[in-house]
Amino acid sequence: MNGRGFRQHLYYAALWLVALFFFAPVAWIVLSSFKTREQILAVPPKLIFVPTLANYTDLLSRQGLLLQVFNSIFLSVVAVCVAVVVSFLAAFCFSRFKPKGTDFLMFLLLSIRMLPGPAVILPVYLMYAGFGWKDNHFWLVMFYAMFSIPFSVWILKGFLDGVSVRFDETGLVNGGSWFHVIFRVVMPQVKPGLIAAFIFNMIFVWNEFLFNFIIGGVSTQNIPYALAVGTYSDGGVNWTFIASMTTIYVIPPILFIYFFQKYLLVGMTFGTVRGEV
Amino acid sequence: MSSLAFRDLTKRYKGQPAVDHFDLDVEPRSFTVLCGPPKSGKSVLFRLLVGLEKPDAGRIMLAGEDITDRAPAARAIGYVPQSFALYPHLTVYDNIAYPLALAGASRDEIARRVDRATSLLSIGHLVKKTPDQLSGGEKQRTALARGLLKDASLFVLDDPLVGLDYKLRERLMDELKALRQDLKATFLYATSDSLEALTMAQSLVVIDRGRVVQQGDVIGLYHAPRHVRSLELVGFPKANVLAGVAAGGVVTAGPLRCPVGASVRDGPVTVGLRPEAIRLGSSRGVAGKGRVRLVENLGGELVVYVDVSGTDLVMSFPVTDAAAPVFDSTVAFSFDPADVLVFDPGDGRRLDKATTHG
Repeated sequence: MNGRGFRQHLYYAALWLVALFFFAPVAWIVLSSFKTREQILAVPPKLIFVPTLANYTDLLSRQGLLLQVFNSIFLSVVAVCVAVVVSFLAAFCFSRFKPKGTDFLMFLLLSIRMLPGPAVILPVYLMYAGFGWKDNHFWLVMFYAMFSIPFSVWILKGFLDGVSVRFDETGLVNGGSWFHVIFRVVMPQVKPGLIAAFIFNMIFVWNEFLFNFIIGGVSTQNIPYALAVGTYSDGGVNWTFIASMTTIYVIPPILFIYFFQKYLLVGMTFGTVRGEV
Repeated sequence: MSSLAFRDLTKRYKGQPAVDHFDLDVEPRSFTVLCGPPKSGKSVLFRLLVGLEKPDAGRIMLAGEDITDRAPAARAIGYVPQSFALYPHLTVYDNIAYPLALAGASRDEIARRVDRATSLLSIGHLVKKTPDQLSGGEKQRTALARGLLKDASLFVLDDPLVGLDYKLRERLMDELKALRQDLKATFLYATSDSLEALTMAQSLVVIDRGRVVQQGDVIGLYHAPRHVRSLELVGFPKANVLAGVAAGGVVTAGPLRCPVGASVRDGPVTVGLRPEAIRLGSSRGVAGKGRVRLVENLGGELVVYVDVSGTDLVMSFPVTDAAAPVFDSTVAFSFDPADVLVFDPGDGRRLDKATTHG
């Protein structure tokens, strides 16, 4: 082996080491989900063990589990779909009709995302309590959509600015309606932006705990809620529950991001690196 | 009855008129070329015509109907924009078929007409590709095919050959001529390139600052230019245009002094002189001397660039006329004062009698 080859191997070894270090907590929780309580708490940690599915059978027998999984999926998918559709239309208007003060309006839109959730939870709670919107799927979806729209508008406006107005005009002159131009001409060209907006918001809603806990309720509880509530039970920390529940919980986002990571990247660049026509 | 008419059409951007009280009648089935320098209002006029912009005043009539307030989709005008605007998510075939598919044509009819258009523009082998796999010329031909495929009696082409290399332009000009025979429709064609205008035109419309300054055929424009743009447009090499001053029927432009008659009022003027009106030697009324900067031999014709005490003059004459002047030598030249054209330096209109050569 020559010196250069060796150096390269060293680089790769370092890369793998760092990546594995980041992956360690995930690996720990996934492995733990197949261990007994004693094995989880063993010192030094047991790397070789006989895997057991007992934690999962326990988990499935828990009351409310199906509701929590359903709520997590339902709330995030519906809220994000609503948010992406609304954001796309709003971004189209910002990009094409350029209302006066567009920059400032965009800044205002994003302002709610500049604060941490706890800073806005009180007014939101009072509003939801006052109107009787608590513990209601529809109103929770509305809240998540509202929270997701600003950032999606930002992402999508960048992409839409990159699509030349000449495309719209060609559609209009050839007999297309605005509806046609928006959904058949422009939308296919910003697909990466739509996917990026979808992923970003999906991650947010999927991981959301605080608002679900405060303005949701028994019927709208999601997996983070279940994790928070179920952690202390049976006279201590319920390690086996945490491990198995978390494993199920992280599978969808991991798969999702693995298959769509290139869109995550274009989302970060806001679609600005696109050619003119 | 004309197939297309603009009546007093005006469009302003930020107070500046881009199209300024524009009046024009276009004969049915004619091929009319709108020619003017960049930013003279050609593109804006076309955008008003196809409905992408709303005029501030005036009307547009198409086949006897007022279409000024109609939506673009309801105008039935074939439009080839300056930018190709081919949809990147569609194949060449689907791009070309797009207007027909939108109009709800049957699959068979679409196939038949796309085939015809692609073979006419010789892009049949490209139909399965996507636009990002095409060269500039191929994109342009695809855009042309799409624009010309529509069921329309009027086709509007906005400088469709701009930015293409010379050979390709020549070929596409020929193809366009063939197409216009074939489609039996009215064509409106904008260009800022005079060679293109002269090659394509049946009828020329010279535009400057959003107005029609002269309209006619090539010969009429050549013999009686009524505007400095007409003079610059028709004729090769391009006419000499100099800034000068008129006083008492005599115009002084740089080193040249020339009587033009008392009809020209005193004050600053723009002086035009065609290269072919200048001769070597001093046989004609006004004479001068200059140093030869460049000689181009075009085979049958010589083009000579002469520096007359700081002012550049172009002259051209048949090769047999005289011995070719030598680079850097001093030559004597002369021209007939009747060949000197005088224009207003402000709005570019002809000041001396326009019918002198008539």
